[in-house]
Amino acid sequence: MGRDRWSAAGLALLAIMYLLVARRYPLDTLATPGPGVIPLIAGVALLATAIWLLIVARTARPARDVGGLSGSGAAPTRPIESVPVLRSPFVLTAALILYAALLPRLGFIASSFAIVVLASRLMGARGWWRPVVLGLGVAATAYLLFARWLGVPLP
Amino acid sequence: MSELFVALTPANLLACFVGTVLGTIVGVLPGLGPAGAMALVLPLTIKLGPTAGLIMLAGIYYGAMYGGSTTSILVNVPGEAASVVTTIDGYRLARKGRAGAALAIAAIASFVAGTISVVALQVAAPFVARAALAFGPAEYFAFALLGLVLLANLTGGSRAKPLAMVLTGLMLSTVGMDPLGGTVRFTFDLAGAQAGLSFVAVTTGLFGVAEVLASMAEPAASSAVARVRFRDLYPNREELRRSVPPMLRGTVLGFLVGLVPGPAATIASFVSYGIEKKVSRHRRELGTGAIEGVAGPEAANNAAAGGGMIPLLSLGLPFTPSTAVLLSGMLLMSVTPGPFLLRDHPSVFWGVIGSFYVGNVMLLLLNLPLVGVFARVATIPPKYLMPGVLVLCAVAAYSDNNNIFDVWVMVVAGIAGWAMRALDFSPAPLVLGLVLGPVLERSLLQALTIARGEVRGLWASGPAAVMLAAAVVAFVAPGLVALVRRSATRTT
Repeated sequence: MGRDRWSAAGLALLAIMYLLVARRYPLDTLATPGPGVIPLIAGVALLATAIWLLIVARTARPARDVGGLSGSGAAPTRPIESVPVLRSPFVLTAALILYAALLPRLGFIASSFAIVVLASRLMGARGWWRPVVLGLGVAATAYLLFARWLGVPLP
Repeated sequence: MSELFVALTPANLLACFVGTVLGTIVGVLPGLGPAGAMALVLPLTIKLGPTAGLIMLAGIYYGAMYGGSTTSILVNVPGEAASVVTTIDGYRLARKGRAGAALAIAAIASFVAGTISVVALQVAAPFVARAALAFGPAEYFAFALLGLVLLANLTGGSRAKPLAMVLTGLMLSTVGMDPLGGTVRFTFDLAGAQAGLSFVAVTTGLFGVAEVLASMAEPAASSAVARVRFRDLYPNREELRRSVPPMLRGTVLGFLVGLVPGPAATIASFVSYGIEKKVSRHRRELGTGAIEGVAGPEAANNAAAGGGMIPLLSLGLPFTPSTAVLLSGMLLMSVTPGPFLLRDHPSVFWGVIGSFYVGNVMLLLLNLPLVGVFARVATIPPKYLMPGVLVLCAVAAYSDNNNIFDVWVMVVAGIAGWAMRALDFSPAPLVLGLVLGPVLERSLLQALTIARGEVRGLWASGPAAVMLAAAVVAFVAPGLVALVRRSATRTT
């Protein structure tokens, strides 16, 4: 239950910060509503919902997602059978931040090659030649398909 | 009407083919869902022009409904949330050696439901569009609000969580230029944020990058695929006969659920299974490998995909993440969906509807013989697949505005989406809040201005009043029901 309480607190904090910034935008009158109206409503409503979530988290029994009705279209994965390697998603997160930072400097092909090699290694690919081939393949295919053929500008 | 045949030009046929194949593959792959995949190919479809581009996007959308059932039946791993129920009886049928029959029935049910729902869509959409011409800002506001409230109710689990996500999406939608006055809000002087947060970047982050991160935290499911030979694909007469009633029930039900905001395809399949458990002549067998448990839900999720197109095409309001991606695709191709779509872009409107007919036939022809091939796609190890998905996400996010800022948005959305998954928050309501936010804001402010500041103006018209009342009831009712139930159990 602790998780829900923490997320409620995080959402409340987000709402408060948002409302503080939103004070800059004028509300004007009801007949000529200004750009501050919706931010005020959204911020207050999120704050209220966060408090609701906090109360629910304290009283209710653990809420269960009804059979993966997440609606994302993505399927729920199977229950975890072995101990997951918890570190690697964090390493990949750091790598993604680096990727976004390096894209404009190194260019699309070099940085995409690097992220693919790193990501496939982190996901358990052994050795180097398979990830390297995969990286070259993905970077080159994406470049040829999008930049050359479709004329989509890439960094 | 003759514009229906626009779908038959070679370019559009090719777009439909590519879309349905991609959709089937996405449907087969656990993890990557249709909304994420559609966002990934957006840059590609924009180059194709509105009609072909939208035909391809729509093909992915309903193709995924076909593909999702394949792995549910063969591997017991649903490729889509909408195919979760299919695992119950589908996999047991496969264990009984009737995998081929289950796959064939799933494909046929999808085809029948898809085709019937297109006919209904074709008949209903122009009427709804004409009725919607009378919609003013107050009605739009009421309808969008009702949609968001229903969405929070239907997502399952705690209601506070989806509501919080809707509101977070609404908040994110206020970043950038405001839709009426042009005041720049919440950009913190970042030039890239002026145009608002890119919807494509947020979607690829939440549904693509987050999925990759989440897949790393969980070991890959071992996948042993049952081999299916072509001659095993014929269901026997008994199975066919038993499938017809659930198929038709699922179609009607799915179409109706599709009209309502929420993860329609998923809900429709669950409700259909529930109904079969109540009314089917073979209800005792459900859960032990009954063909009805495949035919009903598979028809329902495809019909829901068709039903969901009505609010999008005739009102311009998407209520599922997939139709939201379709909407943003339309806007990027400067086609505004809504009541005027039929008048301004008849070839887009009818071309897309026409492609549904063609696409359903293609899917049936593709899925029956190639079912084994698609099933094997599911066994591609994530370590080779997911890195490519990351790069595609970056391409899609960047090409939305040719802006590196959007890549940052994608990375942040990806990390946030991963955290949301871990904390049991669904990303779908956030995406819809983000899409419907500007609609809500514009219509509310316009309605207030028209009513000269009288808040009563929001419910002055009949339809607006009814929809607002429905929104209030939908918001309050579940809480009341729970209260009544709790006190009832206390007294007995």
